[in-house]
Amino acid sequence: MDTRHITTTQAAAILISTIIGVGVLPLPLFAVQAGGTGAPLVTFLGMVLGAIGLFILTFLGIRHPQKTIITYSEDIIGKWFGRFCSLFVILFFFILTGLAAREFGEVVVAGVLQETPLEVTVIVMLLLACISCRNNINVFSYIHSFYLPMILAPVLIVVALSLKNANLLYLRPIIGTNLPHMFLGTLTISALFQGSFIVTMIIPSMKNPKKAIKASLWGISISGGLYLLLVIATVSVFGTEEMKQIFWPTLELARTTAVPGNVLQRLDVIFLAVWVTAVFTTLFSSYYFTIHSIKQLLNLPDQRMLSCFIFPFIFISAMLPQNLLQMYEFIKFVGRVGLLITIVYPGLLLTIDFFKNRGLKGSASQQT
Amino acid sequence: MLHNKRSLRLLLVFILILPLLSGCWDAMEMERRANVLAIGIDEAGEKDRNKDGEVAHLKNSFLKPQGNLIKVTAQIAIPGRIPLGPEQGGGQKPVLIMSVVGHSLEDALQNLQQQVANELFLGHLRIIVLNEKVARHGTKRLNDLLRRNPEIRRTAALVVSKEAASEYMKLEPSLDRVPSLYLADMVDNLSALGRFPPSFIGLFWTIYSSKGQEAYLPYLSIKQKNIIELKGLAYFKGDKMIGKTSPLEIGVFMAIKGVGKGGYGAFVQVPGSDKTVMVRIRSRKTKRKIELKNGLPHVRLKIRYECEIDEKESPKIKINHSKVLKSIEKETAKNMKNSIEKLISTTQAAGSDVFGFGEYFRAKLPRYWNGKIKTKENWERAYQQLTYEVKVDTLIHRVGMKAK
Repeated sequence: MDTRHITTTQAAAILISTIIGVGVLPLPLFAVQAGGTGAPLVTFLGMVLGAIGLFILTFLGIRHPQKTIITYSEDIIGKWFGRFCSLFVILFFFILTGLAAREFGEVVVAGVLQETPLEVTVIVMLLLACISCRNNINVFSYIHSFYLPMILAPVLIVVALSLKNANLLYLRPIIGTNLPHMFLGTLTISALFQGSFIVTMIIPSMKNPKKAIKASLWGISISGGLYLLLVIATVSVFGTEEMKQIFWPTLELARTTAVPGNVLQRLDVIFLAVWVTAVFTTLFSSYYFTIHSIKQLLNLPDQRMLSCFIFPFIFISAMLPQNLLQMYEFIKFVGRVGLLITIVYPGLLLTIDFFKNRGLKGSASQQT
Repeated sequence: MLHNKRSLRLLLVFILILPLLSGCWDAMEMERRANVLAIGIDEAGEKDRNKDGEVAHLKNSFLKPQGNLIKVTAQIAIPGRIPLGPEQGGGQKPVLIMSVVGHSLEDALQNLQQQVANELFLGHLRIIVLNEKVARHGTKRLNDLLRRNPEIRRTAALVVSKEAASEYMKLEPSLDRVPSLYLADMVDNLSALGRFPPSFIGLFWTIYSSKGQEAYLPYLSIKQKNIIELKGLAYFKGDKMIGKTSPLEIGVFMAIKGVGKGGYGAFVQVPGSDKTVMVRIRSRKTKRKIELKNGLPHVRLKIRYECEIDEKESPKIKINHSKVLKSIEKETAKNMKNSIEKLISTTQAAGSDVFGFGEYFRAKLPRYWNGKIKTKENWERAYQQLTYEVKVDTLIHRVGMKAK
């Protein structure tokens, strides 16, 4: 941690490519199940909630520019209690990594490679992340910046080409009908922004930690904007009622969309091929965060061995859900509970930190 | 020691490279696949009933779906015989036609697989032909498999046929060597020519699922041997076909639905004579205004046609003055208005809102919709009480290359 190399742009790129991941595929379904025609609104609210969590973390990071949530929580709420809470943070990201790999495998097996065993796709993906995690944080940021265009481009292309079949009528009325439902949906959607937690790990390596706010702003607005665009496109093409019948509306959108001039009659295979990178960057981030945090918690000098060590455990956790439906029930549940960790916990930390500092600085601040 | 370490490293590198040599797990050679290009679905007749295989169920088992047996006729591409470009001569048939019976679509496909050595592949399925009887009894039972199966394209065409669907599989059109491709192109190109609104299976499902509109499909009929004709538009109520229009009424339908591309022409009597001219629609613009009148839904349609004169019947009529054009415009508008009103009232009698007015009410008057309608069935009833005003403007800008 002696070198600070990550620029603001790189930090934003890390955030974007971490947030955009497997969730892209079922996102429109979650939004429509919650809000009906209010799906774009639900997505927007989810994004706002995700942004709140992200900004709390960024503020915390700026107040402690040398440390991550694992280390500064020890300062704020005491060594042992801090460590106890960090344990949950690590466990959460550990599960998140497993689930993301599993969801990826399920989509690939259901959609394209029907004969390939689920275990193989999951192992290959995890192994890739595991090997990449042996690099330091600078390589980590390079990998993210390098893949960013490949994550954004296919989604934008599919959305743009699908507008041919769009019917704006399906988007109205903009405000859905069932309010309590919409609230739950907002929680589910904002869980898709949980990758932004990674910001706490990047700030200590940023050239200028003060600019982390700017990076967060860009990160959340680009990834959130992309999510919003995707929801609007799928709803306007399929309508809310048809979407409730489709597991992965985004994939279905790619299947319905043709490149003009009979070049390609369906885009799903290409979309899936490129979507693999989006999944990889997300997995890579949560994997990296998990082992980086374990390293800090245990005060280990290096994380390389750790990366291989936890690999089998993540794989086992990925294999726990019995079937696709159980997996999604689990993902939704873990996502909502995770909000306690990604929003409420940092919020508490920030409040305590704030009051603590005011008590300390009480006399000093009178001078200015 | 050093030597040992080096060879160990080399060995490790080789082991790492090994997976790269392996191929795709799902690898499947083209010629080992049975590519299904088209499927025709009929109700099974007396004769076909006995053909039901015991593949997905046992004959005397109680565990089988109720419903009638369906007969599925599939067109399977024969490897190596599908021409990739224009080709002279030829003579061998490029497709194999097989017919099976089943309780459901998947049951029938399993029976088919039992008779074909190669694995059936539905990724190249271009068109599904439903016999009118099947469509009238409901398409619900077919939709599930088609949605669930990841191989099937959402852009495949779905059509309703007057004759048995198996006849369509056996067609040998002269314009294309592959019969199913000709059939599918026919549907695609006709909508590009403005002869039919956009129609594919994904769109059919989207419309069928939404609460305020009913689905439509092209209705085909066999004219003579190997010639097919677009005979009208089949409209649905829920998942059941409930009626069909004449070919010219497709144009009227497109006007109400708001499809901009025109294609149809009609004879219009020139005022002041008993002769007619052919007026062809180039494009249209449709505006719909919806409101509630005395608590009942009311639609105001305003349609603006851009036309041109294609042909006149006899040399006696002179098209040489703008006044003549104006009078033809007026006459056209009057005719159009009549046929639009007629088509709307026909569908109202059937209770099938094929124009999707209901979607406008759902979208723009949510309070009315949530309070009184909410379900598709309620809207079908409300649609029958819908009142409407139609206003048609016709503009003729061009008369072609002839001065008179």
